[in-house]
Amino acid sequence: MFLQLLFLSSAVLTVGCAIGVLATKNIMHSCIFLLGTLIGVAGLYATLGADFVAVTQIMVYMGGVVILMLFAVMLTGGKDFISKAQNLLGLPASMGNKWTYAIGLLVGLVFLGTNVNLMLNITKTANVKEISNDFPSTVSQLGHLLVKDHVLAFEISSVLLLGALVGAAIIARPRKQQ
Amino acid sequence: MNQTVVSYLSQYEFYDSLLALFGNNQGLLAFTIYLLIALVIVGMCATIGGLGTYAERKISADLQARIGPNRVGPYGLLQMLADGVKMITKEDVMPFTADKFVFYLAPLLCLTGVFATLAVLPFSSGFTVADLNVGIFYLVAISSLVGVGVFLGGYASNSKWSMLGGMRGASQIISYEIPVTISILAITLLAGGMGFGTIVGQQGGLPHQWFLFHNPFAFIAAFVYFIGALAETNRAPFDLPEAESELVSGYHTEYTGMRFGFFALAEYIEVFVVCGVAAALFLGGYNLPGITIDILPIQAAQFAVFMTKTLLLYYVVIWIRWTFPRLRVDQLMSICWKYLTPIAIFNLVGCAIWLVVFNGKSIAELMFGGH
Amino acid sequence: MMSLASYLIISLILFIVGLVVMIARKNIVAILLGIELILNAAALNFVAYSRYVTNNLDGHIFSLFIIVVAAAEAAVGLAIVIRFFQIKETIHIDEATQLRN
Repeated sequence: MFLQLLFLSSAVLTVGCAIGVLATKNIMHSCIFLLGTLIGVAGLYATLGADFVAVTQIMVYMGGVVILMLFAVMLTGGKDFISKAQNLLGLPASMGNKWTYAIGLLVGLVFLGTNVNLMLNITKTANVKEISNDFPSTVSQLGHLLVKDHVLAFEISSVLLLGALVGAAIIARPRKQQ
Repeated sequence: MNQTVVSYLSQYEFYDSLLALFGNNQGLLAFTIYLLIALVIVGMCATIGGLGTYAERKISADLQARIGPNRVGPYGLLQMLADGVKMITKEDVMPFTADKFVFYLAPLLCLTGVFATLAVLPFSSGFTVADLNVGIFYLVAISSLVGVGVFLGGYASNSKWSMLGGMRGASQIISYEIPVTISILAITLLAGGMGFGTIVGQQGGLPHQWFLFHNPFAFIAAFVYFIGALAETNRAPFDLPEAESELVSGYHTEYTGMRFGFFALAEYIEVFVVCGVAAALFLGGYNLPGITIDILPIQAAQFAVFMTKTLLLYYVVIWIRWTFPRLRVDQLMSICWKYLTPIAIFNLVGCAIWLVVFNGKSIAELMFGGH
Repeated sequence: MMSLASYLIISLILFIVGLVVMIARKNIVAILLGIELILNAAALNFVAYSRYVTNNLDGHIFSLFIIVVAAAEAAVGLAIVIRFFQIKETIHIDEATQLRN
């Protein structure tokens, strides 16, 4: 019962907030809806028994990425928000207009059509195994996998993170005006 | 499987009779127990948060040779209720230019982040709502919701003081998360697990069995954790986001009534939570010396031990607040990035080497041999 | 209710919403939000397949790496956004037409 409840609420949170990200006019609200979506996805991970991945999701996204996004929004207010440029839909100019929305929805529909077709095949043919509802702890298994089977990817990702750290610091550092 | 309060209760006989009362519906009974326990813990911690404001005023008065609140009730103990009634009955003012949606959301985010951490706090070996096997990691992760709440509170008020306070708060919280998390990692290395049950179970009731005195690196890690936790909860000497001499009162300048109360409550409960985590990680948690049997009175004693340690640390936090002057912003950041983070990483490596070299034995075991 | 198909449907919705956000928005930060949604959809698929189809935890590892890459991407992307704003004083994607100053 817990599992179903968690699944339902997480699914509703995920999908609802994702649509909120798409529909809202305000970039700040967009970020907050993204936060809701990410928490919902973490809940879905929890229903799949992926406890470590769920908590990592919360840790990285909520503590890091979303706050970073909010900082970026605050540091880049700029002309868009000062001039209050509004287009036909009443959105700020940078939040899209009806043409971009039309094209986006069209692409989305095409993609939906092809994928539903694919997915029906997958769910029919995939060898779905019988699952039990007790979740063993994944932490120690993941640790073993990370330092045995996937050690190369693990090391490369650490190099990637170091590169991202140094690169972000170099790109965003304040420079003297020429 | 995760150990939960329900699975703990299910070993007693009265659980079976309760189960019969609920028509053998396991899920419904578990749901009811969780609901009751959640209400009890949230109520208890709200009371502790409320008493925190009273303790703060009384202890600060003591440190400054004043008397403090003494009019409402015996020793002014009912001051908390008076404050609560005042907050609830105050007018709920919202600035005209505020971002309404975010303005309503921010205090709730703060409160949610803090209350969600209570789910894994180990009050006693049985009375832990859910002893997740990623317990401490979950606690660190979910408490970062407070940072988002602080930031959004500062943004939504649409006031310069709030904005500065919110940005300071968010940058401070995400910066100090790093040394805190790395110090906690050193302890998870020693304990060999991230669940609170594992961590506390590896320690004993006597001081020489605590992780604080396990090895020199863990001893330093405890202080790094405590300093970082002070900064994460926006307590003095790190209370820059709400520095009243510079920013009026920071991110909650524009909040009135109960919404301000939510922020204050979240802060006091978060202080309680970080003190509880420090007690569980470094000070042996709920362990009683020399007792191995597990009956309900023992649980109560364990609960008392845990609360005593936590509230002593709570006293230390308030003591620090009224003793040290506030830092400057640049000093704050240089303490975090130039001192605490390297020390924390050094501790992590040192703990790992200690584990390998001495085969996981603590100093006491090395000196006196065995337990 | 809880089956492989339901997770795939949620992930598909996330992916399509992310795609539409990326195409419809002209704000660079909003486009990054769309990318995060798409990455999450992929990671959710990996974990769902790992539970329902395969018997190992490789899917978890993949989604952990996706989270790592997403964090790195967000850090670098937002640094670029801030630098771009310093030069152009806007974050409208149509202004990003030059490769150097």
